[in-house]
Amino acid sequence: MMLNTLFQANPIEGFFFGSGKSMVVGGVAVIIIVGLGLWMWRMEKRIQQLDESASQHTDSPNESAEA
Amino acid sequence: MHMIQRSWKIGGIALLAYVFWTTFTVPLGPGLLELRNLERAAVVDGLDRKVAAYELIGLGTHWATRPEDLSVVLRKKENLTSLPVVEVIDDTHAVIGLAIPDTLPSRSWDVLINHPVDGTLFLQNGLFLNGVSVDETATWPALTLTEFPADLPHHFPFQPRIFETIRNLMLHVPMWFTMFLLMGIAFVASIRQLSQTSGGSSLFDLRAEASVQVGMVFGVLGLLTGSLWARYTWGAWWVDDPQLNGALVTVLVYAGYLILRGSVEDERLKARLSAVYNLFAFVILMILLMVLPRFTESLHPGKGGNPGFNSYDLDSSLRAVFYPAVLGWMLLGTWMYRIRLQATQLNQKLHRLNDQ
Amino acid sequence: MSVLSNIRFLLHHAIRVELRNRHGIAGLLVFAVAAVYTCYQVTGTHAEQESWNALAWVVLLFAGFNAVSKPWADDDEGVRAFLVHTVRPQEWLIARTLYYMLLLGTVSTVTFATFLLFLGMDHLSGWTAVHYYAGVLLTSTALASLLAMIQALASRAGGGFSLIAVLGLPLILPVILVSTRYGGDLMRGIAFADTAHHLLFLATLTAGFSALGYILFPYLWRD
Repeated sequence: MMLNTLFQANPIEGFFFGSGKSMVVGGVAVIIIVGLGLWMWRMEKRIQQLDESASQHTDSPNESAEA
Repeated sequence: MHMIQRSWKIGGIALLAYVFWTTFTVPLGPGLLELRNLERAAVVDGLDRKVAAYELIGLGTHWATRPEDLSVVLRKKENLTSLPVVEVIDDTHAVIGLAIPDTLPSRSWDVLINHPVDGTLFLQNGLFLNGVSVDETATWPALTLTEFPADLPHHFPFQPRIFETIRNLMLHVPMWFTMFLLMGIAFVASIRQLSQTSGGSSLFDLRAEASVQVGMVFGVLGLLTGSLWARYTWGAWWVDDPQLNGALVTVLVYAGYLILRGSVEDERLKARLSAVYNLFAFVILMILLMVLPRFTESLHPGKGGNPGFNSYDLDSSLRAVFYPAVLGWMLLGTWMYRIRLQATQLNQKLHRLNDQ
Repeated sequence: MSVLSNIRFLLHHAIRVELRNRHGIAGLLVFAVAAVYTCYQVTGTHAEQESWNALAWVVLLFAGFNAVSKPWADDDEGVRAFLVHTVRPQEWLIARTLYYMLLLGTVSTVTFATFLLFLGMDHLSGWTAVHYYAGVLLTSTALASLLAMIQALASRAGGGFSLIAVLGLPLILPVILVSTRYGGDLMRGIAFADTAHHLLFLATLTAGFSALGYILFPYLWRD
């Protein structure tokens, strides 16, 4: 059990965190999360626009417009 | 008002960017992996007999710098004895001579090392000796051991068996916190839905639906990250454990909630029935994840039974990332919930337009 | 009419309807006995401890679930419309829960007796069997208190058996986790006093489910 983890742990140490590849992984993760944020931002804007244009067509005065 | 709305969303993303970057780039601190019997004898200076040679293996240690300052100590309660270092092979490997008396107070020993760079490191029950005579009254002259911290830049603490996967703490735990927050929002929305006088709108029902949907995403992510972690530290994708069972049942219960919503046509009846079921679900969630695990033994950290790691010994390096992670994921979850809610409301509005 | 006499009337009515329609309850018992007999066919009387425990709870759970998930006579819209104006919803829920407790108690007793008869009592002796049976009864009480509510919810939603299963089974799992652990402890020879906290936990769950149902049922009931 202990030897098993040993073989797992040491190569990771040398390969992943020693050689700077973890920087690449961290960078990619950051880019993904920022991309997700931008995408959500655009989605929200678009939904709000659609909502406004839909409200103009409905007769009922802005029901459920809060929240 | 507009500024605030904008800033918490940007703040959440910025926090998560910081969290991801530090999670993957902060190095892991040094630690001890194993004290292994080399099955050969070693000659130790100043000792006329040969002793068994053991290999001490570290992870991320720096023994090659100032090897003469590496000291190894065995400990059992108050009994301490120093072991001679025969040879430092490289940063993470050293040969130790097992120069100990024939009669020992115990068979299993904790191994400690002191090194100016790595500080004091500790390997619980690192040495187990077969074929020695045990006399529990045997004592040794007390040796003073001064423990000191590592002289290294910012790093995550080394935990046995967890090693580098300690980074998963920043992903796995906040998922559950965020799910709790979202299910809490749904719970409050359901209460407000039920306490409306009859003929009220189904606004709160939509809120509950949106937050359960987003909460389910976080719950499933929590299960997945937890499963990966369990595979690494416990050796199986799934273990029979109160905490894990509770998590799975919670996800199933909320899946039931979403199915219930799908099977009722009438809007008002749907709002009422699903609110009732949601209150049931949240109480079950509380029982399963907050109450039940405290009464049964568990492998899961923070609940006892696991020697390696528990959530109460988060050290400052972990906290500096963990708290922002929790806050960041919660902000992201809330934002997702709001977008989801707006989308459902828009959908409803468009349906109504279509009907006209 | 007072609350108690209302409850008694509703309970009476439910039992009368159940007994009038004899093949309903007979069907439940046949289901249970057939399930037990299937287990017997596979393992004989030599089931190992863990398998014995697992089979017992699986059979009991599904026999109980089956009993609860058949439509309830009062769920008819007309009867409901009448009852809405005559009794308070809480009375109706209490009657319903009591009825389910009786029904599930009967079904699980018969199932458990058949199970002991076919699969043997090698792993339970004397008092242990009684303690095990106490666990069975408390489990069926907990199931009854939860499923009375879930069944009403599912029938209001217009879903059939599958909806009860989807809504009820996940909520039932904590009960099953506790009772299987209790049964396992008893069979492994752990003293009753050291595992009795499981029974306490079952009772607490029952009380919790009942209280939650009592609070929430009126919202299901009204139109």
